[in-house]
Amino acid sequence: MSTPAPARAPSDRRTSTLGSSSSKRQSTALPKPSSIFLDPSVLIAQHAQLTGTHPITVGPNTVLHPHCKISSAHAPVVMWEGVVVYERARVGVENPRVMRTDTSRGDGVVLGKNVVIETGCVIEASEIGEGSVIEVGANIGVGCVIGEFCTISASTLLPPNTHIPDFTVVYSGLEKRVNKTLQSRPELQQAKVVMHTKQLEIFKKLVPNNVSKWT
Amino acid sequence: MAQPFPYTYYSCDCYDSKVAPNPPKRASQPPPADDEDERTFDPRNARSNYSLYPLEHLLYCEDCQQIRCQRCVIEETLNWFCPSCLFEVPSSVIKSDGNRCTRNCYNCPVCTSPMTVNTLEDPTDPSSSGGPWILACPYCQWSTVEIGIEFEKHTGITSQLSRIANGGKTIPTAKERDKERERRKEIEMRKKDRDYFSGSEDSPSTDKDEGITPSHDDLFSNLSAFYKSQMASQTPSNPFSPHEINFSSPSSFSRIMNLYSSTTHKKQKREKPSPMREAASVHEGLNIHDPATDAAAIERIKRSGWSSTLSSSQKLAQPNPSIRFDSELRPVASLLQTKRGKRCRNCRHILSKPESKITSTRYKIKLLALNHIPRLSIRALSPIPLTTTQPVLYDYDRLRSGIPTHFLLHLSNPLFDPIRVTLATPSTTPGKIQSRVTILCPQFDVGANTDVWDDALSSTLSPIKKPTSIGPDGNPQTSIEAGKIWDRGRNWTSVVLEVVPGFLIQPLGSKEEEELEEDEDVLEIPIFVRLEFEADVNAEERGLGDSRGTEGKREKREEAFWTVVGVGRIVGN
Repeated sequence: MSTPAPARAPSDRRTSTLGSSSSKRQSTALPKPSSIFLDPSVLIAQHAQLTGTHPITVGPNTVLHPHCKISSAHAPVVMWEGVVVYERARVGVENPRVMRTDTSRGDGVVLGKNVVIETGCVIEASEIGEGSVIEVGANIGVGCVIGEFCTISASTLLPPNTHIPDFTVVYSGLEKRVNKTLQSRPELQQAKVVMHTKQLEIFKKLVPNNVSKWT
Repeated sequence: MAQPFPYTYYSCDCYDSKVAPNPPKRASQPPPADDEDERTFDPRNARSNYSLYPLEHLLYCEDCQQIRCQRCVIEETLNWFCPSCLFEVPSSVIKSDGNRCTRNCYNCPVCTSPMTVNTLEDPTDPSSSGGPWILACPYCQWSTVEIGIEFEKHTGITSQLSRIANGGKTIPTAKERDKERERRKEIEMRKKDRDYFSGSEDSPSTDKDEGITPSHDDLFSNLSAFYKSQMASQTPSNPFSPHEINFSSPSSFSRIMNLYSSTTHKKQKREKPSPMREAASVHEGLNIHDPATDAAAIERIKRSGWSSTLSSSQKLAQPNPSIRFDSELRPVASLLQTKRGKRCRNCRHILSKPESKITSTRYKIKLLALNHIPRLSIRALSPIPLTTTQPVLYDYDRLRSGIPTHFLLHLSNPLFDPIRVTLATPSTTPGKIQSRVTILCPQFDVGANTDVWDDALSSTLSPIKKPTSIGPDGNPQTSIEAGKIWDRGRNWTSVVLEVVPGFLIQPLGSKEEEELEEDEDVLEIPIFVRLEFEADVNAEERGLGDSRGTEGKREKREEAFWTVVGVGRIVGN
């Protein structure tokens, strides 16, 4: 069964079978976004999807794992350097009807430096600060603002327009506590950044890069 | 044990065996009648709720040949182990060290998840011993850094933790505490002597830290040492020597006085518990409440906010439950778990015994009622053939009153011998709503649970098929007749039960507006099951004389029990 290729000339189909064989299985195959700004050092795996009409900006050393979906259908998406998005995570506003109450930030999703979005998450937040970890299966609503070095533990549902201050851990539903270990020891923050950099290098070696499809 | 309809519960006999054998001399009520056995089982009775269990919850004692429910078994622990490190702890160590893991297993005081030992070393600059170590929680990210504790090595956390208090100060060991206590006692004695002459309370050699409230552990060790000395003073080596009278112990006082006071029979006085005096000072364990600590706590809350206080469940899990703030938290050692075996309460026969290997979930001995008692189950027998393409599920929650409905009672036999079953049920169900129940075939046989291949090859038990008529759906339909079973298989038989559900609201004439209580509209049928079968007489007879001559002979055995079959809810039409 031939892949339902994006609505373009058939010559593109040949390149896609060679390079990625990316099967855009959904019937609503959106055309490639007109404005994707990729840094040359970005790693985009096979089957990752970047869709939507608004601009998507991806900073240096970012890693997008297979089957992750970055959607700028309703608002732009900006990812700073060192962001890692794991499999089947969805980044981007999906429900435009939910209003944001905090209009100090622009429309769209901003992921700060070294943010890790783990498997299966749904991120519609306005901003996620530097160094934060969003663990497996979390669901961050529209307009949320998450501070730096936060940890949102697995399967948490954050309602829209929640504000999470820096160094907070959200666990057990909506319990919050301040991660004083990280807050009081800047060397632990440094160590975290160093380990993250090492992980990015390992990804570069192990995951085949399909960024040529998107440039 | 709420189950969806239809269900079957079995009644264990233990609930009515505890009737007092000797009625008290002045009984206000006559003892219950002796005909309890003949009385029908009433599932609505509040007491019967405690004796009904699904078949999977019951064990069976082969010696007593009776069902044993969870209340007629005695549990005994086989071994203790830690659920995190899976290390077995011998029971002698449990008696001395307690029921918590003494290795490296700790639970987070904030979220109770198991903690891991992490290192604080810089990944770019590794140190020799692996850096200072901490306990960290992988879920809520709490770590011992928040209470100021770091470890030197990553093993033996328990011993390291018992020496460090929050904030890095060292905790003295028991020996050091004893020395401190002796030293302070001497200072107190000297102070008392000095105060006779000087009048002042100040003396230059007082301890600097008298004003600090002693910690929880200090108080405990002081108090236990004090009570030990009290108990020691009650049993001096020579009771008659006047030099060893300890005037601070009221028990020795009373003993000396008793020696001099009376010569009458003092047996009662000797059985009184020996009196001890109470702790009188801080170094004996007395903790006088200081209002300054309360004021300090209030200031602390003002400063750090509500989030720095602890919830009651966090406090209760701590070794010292009177702490208030999260800087006083300590890691909680993991509780040990046990593997237990069950014994019959009457004859102490082992009913269930797990394997001693901790990681294995199998059982060495497993005497289940499932393997000794036939399983009853009920389902609706729809007389209307299914003509539609979609199978319509019978709705057990909507039984219609007044309409005779047929149900199929299915009995399957787990024993290796064929059994003869007699069923009995009261003609109307007990309780407010009276439904009429008739078992169309109360006595029948069920085949033995032989191998499938044995039966296929020998085919001694020919399936009984009644004269059938082809129904509208093309399948052969058996007719519902009284006195005949419905169907039979290798080790099961099914019979028909006819039920006329009763009316929910009483017809005119009775009291009006009697609201039905919860669950009174549930149709439950008590069925008395009696089995008769022949079994081999083998090692069940423990006596010596019988077993030699009766090998190979068959013995007639009989078992009987009550069951309650829950059919559904009645909805009036």
